[in-house]
Amino acid sequence: MITRRMAVSAGMAVAVTAGTSRIGAWGATSERRRTPGSIDVLLCDETIEMPLQIAALIDASRQTLPVVGIQLDAVEHAALKRVLLESHSIVGISSGATLFCLERISWDHGFRLTGRIQRCANEVNDAACMQGLAAFLSGANPPVATPSQLTRAYRPSRADGTLHAWAMRKSVSRQLREEV
Amino acid sequence: MRLPPNVSKSDFSAALGAFASIVGDQWVFTTDEDLELYRDSYSILWGEADERTASAAVAPDSADQVVELVKVANRYRIPIYPISTGKNLGYGGAAPALAGSVVFDLKRMNRVVEIDERHGYVVVEPGVSYFDLYNYIQERGLKLWIDCPSPGWGSVLGNALDGGVGVTLAPYRNHFEAQCGIEVVLPNGRLMRTGMGALPGAQTWQQFKPGFGPRIDGLFKQSNYGVVTKMGFWLMPPPENHTTGVVTVPKFRDIIPLVDIIGRLEQSKIVQGLWTLSSPTAGTPGDAAHGNGGPPPMDAKVLAVLNDPDGVDMDKLEAAAHSAGLPFWACEFNLYGPKKLIEAQWDCLRDAMAEISGARFKLNAIRRLPLPPQELKARFDTGPLGIPSLRTFSLGPMISYEGEDIVGHIFFSPVIPRTGEAAIEAMNVFAGIARKYKLPCPPLQFPSSIFERAFLFAVGLPVTRSPVVNAKVREIIRELVAIATARGWGEYRTAPAFYELIMGVYSFNDHALRDFLETIKDAVDPNGIMSAGRYGIRSRQARKGTG
Repeated sequence: MITRRMAVSAGMAVAVTAGTSRIGAWGATSERRRTPGSIDVLLCDETIEMPLQIAALIDASRQTLPVVGIQLDAVEHAALKRVLLESHSIVGISSGATLFCLERISWDHGFRLTGRIQRCANEVNDAACMQGLAAFLSGANPPVATPSQLTRAYRPSRADGTLHAWAMRKSVSRQLREEV
Repeated sequence: MRLPPNVSKSDFSAALGAFASIVGDQWVFTTDEDLELYRDSYSILWGEADERTASAAVAPDSADQVVELVKVANRYRIPIYPISTGKNLGYGGAAPALAGSVVFDLKRMNRVVEIDERHGYVVVEPGVSYFDLYNYIQERGLKLWIDCPSPGWGSVLGNALDGGVGVTLAPYRNHFEAQCGIEVVLPNGRLMRTGMGALPGAQTWQQFKPGFGPRIDGLFKQSNYGVVTKMGFWLMPPPENHTTGVVTVPKFRDIIPLVDIIGRLEQSKIVQGLWTLSSPTAGTPGDAAHGNGGPPPMDAKVLAVLNDPDGVDMDKLEAAAHSAGLPFWACEFNLYGPKKLIEAQWDCLRDAMAEISGARFKLNAIRRLPLPPQELKARFDTGPLGIPSLRTFSLGPMISYEGEDIVGHIFFSPVIPRTGEAAIEAMNVFAGIARKYKLPCPPLQFPSSIFERAFLFAVGLPVTRSPVVNAKVREIIRELVAIATARGWGEYRTAPAFYELIMGVYSFNDHALRDFLETIKDAVDPNGIMSAGRYGIRSRQARKGTG
């Protein structure tokens, strides 16, 4: 049986080597049945210019996973809220500033950061680095014991040339924003 | 389990049980994982013994629940700390001012209670964010505009209570001044409405601010006299058009007549939009805010003067700027309204500023609103267009300090006179401190015109996760406060770690103001449970060191 995780991983691996692209949308794919442990959506930061390799990775992942751009402003907020309300497990790639904001917005929907790796933008020319990113975003991110350690372990900057790949998972204990 | 100060474990357990019976078990948070979210991400005391963290959090859904919760808090003497959305970063986040307080998280109270297009007002609960209100208006196609701070993810009500400001037209920028009518749960659990709201069935609660008798709304701004559960705000009709116009003047000391002339235009209500002072000489042109690109390449001679380790010599900088063909100052004005009004405002601006030799003027294209989505997307900040965003949410060049990663900032925010002379003095003073401590600031910082009659000179200082570095920053802030106080400049707002310090400098006639505020505190909150420590207004227990 092919799981979504395997498919995503394969899609990303293809992207690393081939740089394929196809438009996908959250609305078109969000109704698919979830499998336990699967990733619901990939969020990508539209407030920064992604290196070409990362952009290709994101494009390729559209084949297997809804990809939603993050703008973090009021105009786009309704779409982000819908993603947070309807998802249980999300991954993303962003600047530290965007992650910092998204982390706090998603807290109110019950999400916790469960994994994060960071790379300098100029590292992505390295194939091993890209494979590491692809593997992380496809779900190969071991959960940590205390999510709080992750919340304070990165610079919330948009200007430091660092890209963060991260994973968040919804816990049931605290969802202060329930409505769409 | 962390306990509130002077509360036994059995009483705290009983209080939590009573809280849960009011709001439901799922809305009382006591686990470390949940309470972590009520830490101040930008705390200058992070990880230290003095860091103010919550003992629990409770999330009510209505004013009625708040009433009952406050009664329980009184019964068990539990200090409570209401927050709206807790996103007041740089001036404190969701963390209480007194360690061990129970946070009242009001995010679930997120109803737009009433909105009136005809009279231009809205009544909101604490959990309504600027994002929420903007989308509420857009979804219903209402012809209303909001003024939002930047970043704009916080609570409309909370921002006003903290003295927050926005970026559009002057009558709406000061958010507390734009409020009209408050509903508040007093520390004894009694629900009260201010202004015309005190009249049962009032038809004009959001239309007439003074009400009858003393106007006490201000008692709930930056204070700890109650839990505000509803608040009315005046909103503006959407302007038909928007544009910006840039005025440049060539010399350093041109700032003095420049500010005076703008002041007269503001006082006569000709200039109403926010204007931004910047310096093309220092690498920030007047319309920099509209592009995502960085500053243009700088002239080598100008750069050398700016990077002088002994400080920027303004005479040398002016000479270098002159030879590079750069004006020293730029003012960018936001102009709103019908096209003929914008053109008339610009004509008045030109006429008034023509007396400054070498002044240059550029009015950008007047654009019909709303702007197309693609154009909005390309803008650095949409706040001046009434659209909240987090686009300014970036620490810019603040990457590290003293070898430690910068994870946030804390504001030192003195209010200085609205004059060019004061601006020059403040620039010199604060640039000197930045050099002395090698702070990661640009060599020149400029005052903000966000207030109507005074300048704000906000300086963002780095916050790290190193107690040693944070202790150094705290000392720098104390030095800055002393320097500012000696010049008669007071802060308009501060982070919880400095509430008492700042309240302490407002000391005219042996702290008459603080004594008055604490007399009120003793009268309305005899158990000292309400927002203990907030804004340095101490309860009787705190003054005695027992609470």
